[in-house]
Amino acid sequence: MPMLDIHDIHTYYGNIHALKGVSLTVEEGEIVTLIGSNGAGKTTTLRSICGLQKPRRGSILLHGEDLVAYKPHQIVEKGVAMVPEGRGIFARLTVAENLDLGAYIRRDRRGIQEDLEHVYGIFPRLKERTRQVAGTLSGGEQQMLATGRALMAQPRLLLMDEPSMGLAPLLVDAIFDVIQTINRKGTTILLVEQNALMALSIAHRGYVIQTGEIVLKDTAANLKNNETVRKAYLGIE
Amino acid sequence: MKNMIRNSLRTGIVFGIITVFLFLVGFTGTAANILADLLNNESAPPLFGWAPPMLNTVIFVGLIGLWAGASGASREKDVAGDPYGAAVLGGGIAGFVQGLLTGLVMALVGTLNERGVMMSKYLAELLPAAVKQAMLGFPPPGAGAFYLLFLTAAGALGGLATRGLGRGGRRPREAIRTWAREKVEVLPWVQSLRRSPAVKYAVYGILLLGILLLPLFAGQYWNYTIGTVGIYVLLGLGLNIVVGLAGLLDLGYVAFFAIGAYAMALLTAPTPHNLMWNFWLVIPIGILLAAVTGILLGAPVLRMRGDYLAIVTLGFGEIIRILSKSDDLSDFTGGPRGVPAVAGPDFFGLNVNSGIAFVYLIFLSVLLVIFVTNRLQNSRVGRAWEAMREDETVSRAMGINTLTQKLLAFAIGAAFAGLGGALFASRNQFTGPEDFNLMVSINVVAVVIVGGMGSIPGVIAGALVLKGLPEMLRQLEDYRVMVFGALLVVMMLWRPAGLIPSSRRKMEIDKDAGLAETAEEGRGK
Ligand SMILES: Nc1ncnc2c1ncn2[C@@H]1O[C@H](COP(=O)(O)OP(=O)(O)OP(=O)(O)O)[C@@H](O)[C@H]1O
Ligand SMILES: [Mg+2]
Repeated sequence: MPMLDIHDIHTYYGNIHALKGVSLTVEEGEIVTLIGSNGAGKTTTLRSICGLQKPRRGSILLHGEDLVAYKPHQIVEKGVAMVPEGRGIFARLTVAENLDLGAYIRRDRRGIQEDLEHVYGIFPRLKERTRQVAGTLSGGEQQMLATGRALMAQPRLLLMDEPSMGLAPLLVDAIFDVIQTINRKGTTILLVEQNALMALSIAHRGYVIQTGEIVLKDTAANLKNNETVRKAYLGIE
Repeated sequence: MKNMIRNSLRTGIVFGIITVFLFLVGFTGTAANILADLLNNESAPPLFGWAPPMLNTVIFVGLIGLWAGASGASREKDVAGDPYGAAVLGGGIAGFVQGLLTGLVMALVGTLNERGVMMSKYLAELLPAAVKQAMLGFPPPGAGAFYLLFLTAAGALGGLATRGLGRGGRRPREAIRTWAREKVEVLPWVQSLRRSPAVKYAVYGILLLGILLLPLFAGQYWNYTIGTVGIYVLLGLGLNIVVGLAGLLDLGYVAFFAIGAYAMALLTAPTPHNLMWNFWLVIPIGILLAAVTGILLGAPVLRMRGDYLAIVTLGFGEIIRILSKSDDLSDFTGGPRGVPAVAGPDFFGLNVNSGIAFVYLIFLSVLLVIFVTNRLQNSRVGRAWEAMREDETVSRAMGINTLTQKLLAFAIGAAFAGLGGALFASRNQFTGPEDFNLMVSINVVAVVIVGGMGSIPGVIAGALVLKGLPEMLRQLEDYRVMVFGALLVVMMLWRPAGLIPSSRRKMEIDKDAGLAETAEEGRGK
């Protein structure tokens, strides 16, 4: 049984039909990437999983249990954490407070402390800035914070919405390295990206979404060589 | 140079219009009375032939003149050569223009008055006696000339004073701050005092002791005022949780205050129900009822955001008041005439003066509420509220059940108001619909904003300023709303984050101010 099994979901914003029957699966331990151009419905897919935007039809099974019936905070408790689009850090709170909020659902103080050290181990720059107000961090540091904050929830499934957005190439490399490290330590990842090349080079499998529908799915390696993907998303003739 | 003169002229015109306006609405006379109270010089011997009322008018106008001069002079950043001359010139020009406007109006009004025109028909404040006082014993043209000369001199002096305080013609506030930073704060003993925590605690201790002893000496009238301020502190702290911490704009906060008050009144008073329950029993009931109402109202309403929430709560506040006023319900609520003979607390057989004891009871409640607020602020719940105020969607994605958290904030805020209301009704030994009009909600919002959102000391300061100060300046009665508005405007300019802002808000506003300043400098170049 796949860890996450999304079957034919239809999600609306009012009467805007944003997802028109999206189906995808994520196996335990995988990195799966969802690529597509602006407005294709990538963020909407992640919001549907989190419960922030409920699909009107279809099912989202996590370990066989349908998430559609649950509220966002209950879904977090089931081990799904998100790095939101545009980072979504709490700008007026400090770095430490942001991380603390990531662990909001947990009550095991010792475990939280350990994970905090773990996050600081991955992102030493955050450790130097624990008391700095998050809004004054650089864009790259904010992305690190958003990622670290999501890790603080000890997720089994991590949803990441365009973690490379607005970062310098060097930092993009660093963030993707971290994503791989996190994955090797046992966290399953669903990665939404516009930077398709980078995403496909670290992912196991990938899906291509276009105006609310999945148009392609394959292993990452195959997608990278796929003619349409190369033209439309990799910018390679 | 040309720039400086233009600035001074403009300042002079603005201050001139303000002075004339204050005179026409009779505020100069009121201010003179306030000064008489403050200086306590009502029966002082005349100075320069002016008896105290006129003398105080002169002082007041002089103060405005100094201010005009200070603003008129402090614009120009850098006048080469003779900075004092430039400052005096700038201030003097501002004062001259202000004096010209004021003097002309005075001369005109004075002349009309002498001809027997009843100006109070058009402007109620321009009674013959009031105009006479403004003439300072001169014939009208003489009074005009006097104001012109006097304000010019005051302006020049104001300009000189600012320049003397701060080099380089900075604004007065900045100049004083720089002066404090460079001259006072570097003194070794100031530094060591600053660093020592003992001093901090000693200051707090003395302050607290002073407050605690105050009711013993304050007398009945002032104890009443202190009690009112205390109740507004309770309300402010409650609304502070709702607005300041959880970020929910509740404009009908008075409803919970009313519920606490009516719980106390209906359960303890002989009419209309004759239940005559004990005060101490009803206090928790009032708190609980308010909290439950908060949840019942909140559950459907808190799904709305921002403006809608404000409007719905505003309506709720009015509904409660109108219900309490309804004739049809008067068998149950006491109707428009309210509920008399609300019980006071019995102090367990102790024989104490109940007026003073009640003030201490309010103090105790305030301390309790401060304690609870403080604990909440630093808890998981407080953290969740902060996250929610920052970004509701993201905080949901962090696993925060935002609806529960909002309800909790609403209920706790309501509980504080319920306590305040119960105390209020008992202290007044009466409650009625008119105690709970919209102004109460607005006042409490103002207490929170003026004091500093999210800050406990801020709320206390806000309640003192908005509820205590008007009592100290009883003379202001007629102008309360005007002064209140002016105060808010001044506040916005002077302390945009509130009197005692929370560190977080201060940070945020300072950051914005920093940006604004850079932009201004950029433009000046
Ligand atoms: N709050 C909203 N209200 C109405 N329509 C929305 C809303 N959010 C998204 N949409 C619409 O839903 C569609 C999918 O949007 P979505 O944000 O999922 O795109 P995306 O693939 O994440 O794009 P991008 O790469 O630009 O972030 C778009 O057509 C968008 O206009
Ligand atoms: Mg998106």
